[in-house]
Order: sequence, then structure tokens, then C-alpha cells
Amino acid sequence: MTGLHQYMALAQVQEGMVLSDELLDLQGKVLLPQGTVLSTEMLAALHRHDIEALPIVLEATRSVQEVACALEQHRQRIAYLFRKNDPADESDPATGTLHRLVLDFRLHTETPQ
Amino acid sequence: MSAAITHEEAIKQLDDLPSLPAIVADLIQSIDHEDVDISVLAKKVARDLALTAKTLRLANSSLYGLQVKVTTIQQAITYLGFQATRHLIMAAAITSHFPETTCKGFDGKLFWRHSIATAACAKVLARLMRVNQDYSFTAGLLHDIGRLALATCFPQEFQHAMAYRATHDCTMQEAERAVLGIDHVEAGLMLAQHWNFSDTLCLAIAGHHAPEAPGASALAAIIHVADAVVHALDLTGAADDLVPRVSPAAWATVGLDDHACLQLFRETELYYEEIVTSILP
Repeated sequence: MTGLHQYMALAQVQEGMVLSDELLDLQGKVLLPQGTVLSTEMLAALHRHDIEALPIVLEATRSVQEVACALEQHRQRIAYLFRKNDPADESDPATGTLHRLVLDFRLHTETPQ
Repeated sequence: MSAAITHEEAIKQLDDLPSLPAIVADLIQSIDHEDVDISVLAKKVARDLALTAKTLRLANSSLYGLQVKVTTIQQAITYLGFQATRHLIMAAAITSHFPETTCKGFDGKLFWRHSIATAACAKVLARLMRVNQDYSFTAGLLHDIGRLALATCFPQEFQHAMAYRATHDCTMQEAERAVLGIDHVEAGLMLAQHWNFSDTLCLAIAGHHAPEAPGASALAAIIHVADAVVHALDLTGAADDLVPRVSPAAWATVGLDDHACLQLFRETELYYEEIVTSILP
């Protein structure tokens, strides 16, 4: 998943909006792939599948400064949570890996495309 | 420190703790017994209105995306399956039936939020690893139960331990050892044995902070990693939260690549939010 996204109720989703992530049914089967541009027909089909909400790509509604500020907050918070972990400490590789992945995860969901 | 608690004192006090809610004990037992009569369990749950309401609220949440609105426990079992329903009931029952502790400054809600988060993460982990999700969820939910027991049985001493933790910025386990002389792992194991938990659960509770020790179980490794992941994801939002050191052995046992980890983070967040909003309003 890349870029800003939001779970939007199906009723609010309009034709032309883009899926930010693949859409799975209850069995875990892919209904629609990531990046799909939603058509009226698709939305009707999703309604029949009783899908309630979709991950939708958001237009860059926030300013560059706001995004940068949110990113910085995430960075600081994660650095605080991992304050006992020294990334250079080779005897502590697993904590370092988790640190890197969580940072990746948080910064990725905040970064606009 | 003068507040150290002897082993005998701990056993005596923990023995006086109320027994595990009957329904939770039944559900945990049912994991080991495939031939359990589901309708009997459903009837037992149905007698508890508050528990039924919470379970149904969760079953009807968007997490499961059911096409119908379920109104009875039996229906929930039919649509969600016994396994998922069992997890919902267990989480709802244990969080509401355990007595409130009188320990000042001990945040019971925060405690349960962390337990639920760990259960959710452990369940997703188990699915990715293709091992038993029931044990993982249950062990996640109960992994820190010894901490709640210590705070309940020794409220004043535990308060000192919390103060020690704040001053030294160490893990709670280190503070427990320094101040109480007993930590939540030992207390949890005593309690698990007192409640006649299966060896699988006892081993996981006993080993979740030392998953690299000889004889530690894979389940202990799962709970160890799940605990660290939910601290790292900041799910409970505790201001002074701290990610504990992750055991390389446990990380290797879990064996997730980067892609699987990101999936784990996403699913854990979603699953956690749904359970918490349904049962800890």
C-alpha cells in the first residue's frame, strides 16, 4: 500500500476513485487488485458482496508541511519507543529489524505518492 | 528493598484469588477437546447478558463483514465458526470478570488493551506460520496475567514496583524483580498451574520473556514476538511505553520476511481496533 489512504464507506465511494490496497473477501480471495479505478458496475457488485468499506487513495489533501510534520512525529515516537535499542548493536539484531520495519510501515502509510 | 515477597507468600495470596470465570475455563478446555458440545457452551454464554451483548457487537462489527446481523451466540458460531466466536467470548469474558485491582496507579484498562493487542497479533502470527491460532490467541490474552495477580494481591508493593520502573526507565519485569523479588512470569505460571491450564499454555506463559531458554516452546516465541510488535506499533498508546529487547532466537522461530511483517502489522492493527471498540468501550 502506498500513499495516503482512507477506509471509506461504500455508500460514499464514487466512480473513478482508486483502491489503495487489494480488496479481499471473507475467505481471503482477491476481489479487486490494488490500484483498481472503481466503476459504477464494480461498486454495484461490491454492494452485492456486502462490502461495507474500501481502502481508497486520497488526493493530497494535506499540505507538504502537514505531512512532513506527521512524519516527524512518527519518527520521534518510534525512536522513543525503541530508546533501549542501539541499531549499531550487532548482538541485538532482532530488535533492530523490528525497529526498521515499524519505521518503514509508519512512514509508508503517511507518505503521499 | 524491604517489600520483597517470598515464594510462600505469593502462593498463599494467589490461592485466594477468585477462580477463572467458569466460561473462560470451559472455553480454554475446549481447545484441547475436539468433541466438546458447542450448543452447551452457547447456552452457558447466553445466560450472561452482558457477555452476550459484547460478543454479538463484535460479531456484527465491520471486521467480519457478515451479510446478516447475528442476534444469538448460536448464530455467531454458525456464521463465524466456533474458533472465532470462542476468541470473542474469551476476550469479552476475561476482561469483564476479573476483579478490579485496588492497586493505585495500575491502569486495568491499559493492561487489558495490551493483552488483547498481544492476543490479536499472536493469532495473526499463528495464521502466517500455519500453527494453532487458538493457543496463540489464548496465550496472548493471558501472557501477563501474573502482573494483574501481583497488582491485585500485593497492591502496595506493586505500587513501589511501578515507581521504580518510572525512575529507572526499565522494563516492568526488571522493576518487579528488583522490588518484589518475584516477577509476573513466575506469578503467571503459579496462577496458570492453579487454574489447571494445559502444559502448552503454562509453557508459553512461563517462557514468553525467555524464549531462547532450552525447552522453551514455539508458542513462547510467538507470544514474545507478538508482545514486542504491539509495543512497537504503539497500540495501547501508553506514554512511557518501551519496546523490550527481541530475542533473535524467537525472531528466527517466527521466521517472517519483511513483506509478511508488514502484513502482520496491518492485520494486527485492524483486528485489535475492532475487539477493543467492541468489548472495552
